[in-house]
Amino acid sequence: MRTTRRSFLRLASTGAAVATVRLDGPPARAQAGGPVKVGVLTIRAGIAAPVGAAGLRGTEWWVDRVNRAGGILGRTVQLVVEEESNPKDTVERYRKLVLQDKVQAVLGGISTGVTLALGPVAEDLATPWLSWDGTTQKGVEETMPHPTWAFKSVDNEVEAIVAGMLTAKYFKGIKTVAGIGNDYSYGHDCWESYKAVLKKYAPDVRFVLELFPKLGVTDFTSHIAAIQQSKADLLMCSFWSGDATIIMKQATAVGLFKTMKGVFTTAGGVHDSLKKEFTPEGLLLGYNTMYFDDPKGSALLKQFVREYKARHGEYPPYECDHAYFCAESYKAAVEKAAAQSGKWPEKAAVARALEGIEVESLSGRRSWREDHVQMCAFYQGITTHRNPYDFATISPVEVVSTKVAMKPAGTKLFDWINSWKVSRG
Amino acid sequence: MIQQVVGVVMSGVFHASILFLVSAGLQVVFGVQKIFNLACGSFYALGAYVGVSAVGWYAAAGGPPALFIVPLAVAGLAAGGVGLVVERGLLRFVYDRDETFQLLLTFAVVLMMEDAIRMTWGTSPRSTSGLYLVYGGVSVLGTTVPVYNLIVIGASLAIALVIGWLLTRTAFGRIIRATADNREMAEALGVDVRRVFAGVFTLGTALGTLGGALVIPATAAMSEMGIELIVEAFAVVVIGGLGSMRGAFVGALSVGILRAIAISVYPKLEMLLIYLIVIAVLVLRPRGLFGEARA
Repeated sequence: MRTTRRSFLRLASTGAAVATVRLDGPPARAQAGGPVKVGVLTIRAGIAAPVGAAGLRGTEWWVDRVNRAGGILGRTVQLVVEEESNPKDTVERYRKLVLQDKVQAVLGGISTGVTLALGPVAEDLATPWLSWDGTTQKGVEETMPHPTWAFKSVDNEVEAIVAGMLTAKYFKGIKTVAGIGNDYSYGHDCWESYKAVLKKYAPDVRFVLELFPKLGVTDFTSHIAAIQQSKADLLMCSFWSGDATIIMKQATAVGLFKTMKGVFTTAGGVHDSLKKEFTPEGLLLGYNTMYFDDPKGSALLKQFVREYKARHGEYPPYECDHAYFCAESYKAAVEKAAAQSGKWPEKAAVARALEGIEVESLSGRRSWREDHVQMCAFYQGITTHRNPYDFATISPVEVVSTKVAMKPAGTKLFDWINSWKVSRG
Repeated sequence: MIQQVVGVVMSGVFHASILFLVSAGLQVVFGVQKIFNLACGSFYALGAYVGVSAVGWYAAAGGPPALFIVPLAVAGLAAGGVGLVVERGLLRFVYDRDETFQLLLTFAVVLMMEDAIRMTWGTSPRSTSGLYLVYGGVSVLGTTVPVYNLIVIGASLAIALVIGWLLTRTAFGRIIRATADNREMAEALGVDVRRVFAGVFTLGTALGTLGGALVIPATAAMSEMGIELIVEAFAVVVIGGLGSMRGAFVGALSVGILRAIAISVYPKLEMLLIYLIVIAVLVLRPRGLFGEARA
C-alpha cells in the first residue's frame, strides 16, 4: 500500500489523538493500590555519564530488592527515569515527572550547576526531591537554608576538608603544596577548602602552584611539567572523572611521585581504572562516601558489591550509595508517616518524616540533617597494591563523619574552619 | 633551569605532534576540497576508541606488550576508512552548495559520531591501562621523558615528511595540487576529481584517526575528547594559514609549545594566550603564516 501525504496525515492525527487520550487519562490506579511511581533524574551523556549510570544502577538494585520483599506498604515501586542535562531542560523534565507522570517523589541530581536550579522548582511543585550528589550551594554558600521539599547531598567541599585533615596526619613535615583541579566551582571550592584546613594544621605550609585546566582536557603533560617545576612536596588533585586516571598515568610516566607526595581527594570515583602499573602506593586517595572494599563493610555492602560486579563487570563507586540512601530513606519515611496515619501518607507527611530519619545504606548508617542535608561518612586512605585486584585500593581506611568534616547548619564555611581548635602534633 | 626548559618543551612538542596530525587532516581536506571539516575532531576520537579496542584484542590474544604500537597504528589507519564512507555517503552531495551547508553537514557528523561512539563503547572513559609505561622513560638533560612520547613525536615527524614527499614528489601529489589550484582545469585535463576527492578525504580522516590512536596509551578515550581538539586545531589552522601543510606543522608546534610555556609561567593564560595570538594573526596577517593570499 502506498502512503500518500493525505493518508499519512490522517494516520498521524489519529496517533496524536490516541496519545492525547492516554496522556489525559485519569491516574486512578496510581492513587489506589497500584505501583508507586518514583521519578529518577540521572546524567546519561558527557563526562559525568558513568556517575549517572552508577546512581541509576544503585537505584535499580534497591527497587529489585524492595519489590521482591513486597514493595513499600504492599505497593511495588516503579521508576520513571529522565535525563539530567543542562539546568533549563532538567527543570522541564522535573516538572514533567511531577505534573505529568505524577510521581510521588523524585530521586537524583548530580551536578550542582543543575540542582541549584532544581531546588526552588522542587519547593514550588511540592513533591519530595532527594538529591544524590547535587547541592543547592553557590560555591560554598548555602542558598536554601530552610527548604520544605528539597533534600540535598553532602556539601561538595567535604572530601577536600577530609583530605586536608588526613594530609596533616599522614604527610607530616611537608612545606610546599601544588594543586590541580577542574576549572569550575567544584575544583576551585575544593582547593580553597583544602588550603584553609591544611593551614590550620600546618600554618607554615606554602601553596606554590595552582592549576585549573578545563573540564574535558585529556593531555596534562604540560601541567605536569609545571608541577615538576614547582618542586612542591605534595600535589593535591580533585579530579573525579577519566582525567584522574590520565593525570595519574602521565605523572607516573615522568616519575613525579618519586619525589612528590600525592593527594587525590575524589579519584576513588574511577577507582577500578587506577591500575597498579601506574598508580603508586603511598598516595592519599578519597572514595567519597562508599568504599567497595571496606574490611568493616556490612553484609549489605558485600552483597551489593558481589551482585554489581556480576551484573556490570566492575566494582561499584560511591554514587550507588548516595542513590541507595535516597531511595531507602524515602521508603522509611513513607512507612514512618503511614504508621502515624494508618494509610498511604500525603507527600507533605513524607517530607516531614524524612527530616532526621536514619537508615542503613550500603556504606553504613546514613541520615538527613534537620536542614535536609545528607549525613554520612567519607572514606579515604593510603593506596596499596596488596589486594587481589589489578587496581590500587587503600589501607588503612580512614572513616571521617560529616559530623566533624561538614560545616554545621547555618554556618559559613571559612568562619567555621577558622574557629577550629586544632592540636598540632 | 635547563631541566625545566626541557620538561616544558618536550611536553609541548608531544602535544604539538598530535595536534599536527589532526590539523594536517583538516588542511589537506580544505586545501583540495575547500571544505572546512569540523568532524576532524570526531575522527580523532574514533581513532582513539578503535585503538583502545585493537590493543585490547591484541593483549587478549597474547601479543607481546612491547609491540602493541603495531596493532595500534594499523587500527588507527584502518579507522580512516570511515572517511571514504562519509565522503561518498554524505559530503559529495554538498560540494556545489554554499559553504554553510558543508559546515552544517560536518557538524552533523560530529554529533552523530559522538552518539555512535557512546552506543558502541559506552560512556565510561576507556584506557589501555599501563601500556604507556611499557617502554619506560629516558633522561634528557636530567628530565625524565616517557619513551612513548618520543615515539609519537618521531611518528608525527615521519608522517609530516611522507606527506611532504607525497604532495611534492609523486604523480598523486601533483594531481592533488592541480585539483586544489583549479578544479575545472584539472577535470578538463582528465583528472577524475571524484576519485581525488574520495582519496583526499580518506587521507585527511586517516591522519585524524591515526592521531587519536597514537595518543591513546598516554591518555584515556572519552566521547567528547574530539571537541576539545577541534578548538585547538582551529587555532593551528588560523596561525599556520588555511590549507597549508607547512602552516599546520608550524602552527601545531607554536600552539603546543606556547601552551606549555603559558601553563608553566602563568597558568591562567593557558588558552587565552593561544586566542590572543589567533587574534593577532587575524588582524595583522589574516591569511596566516603560510596561507596563500587569495583575490
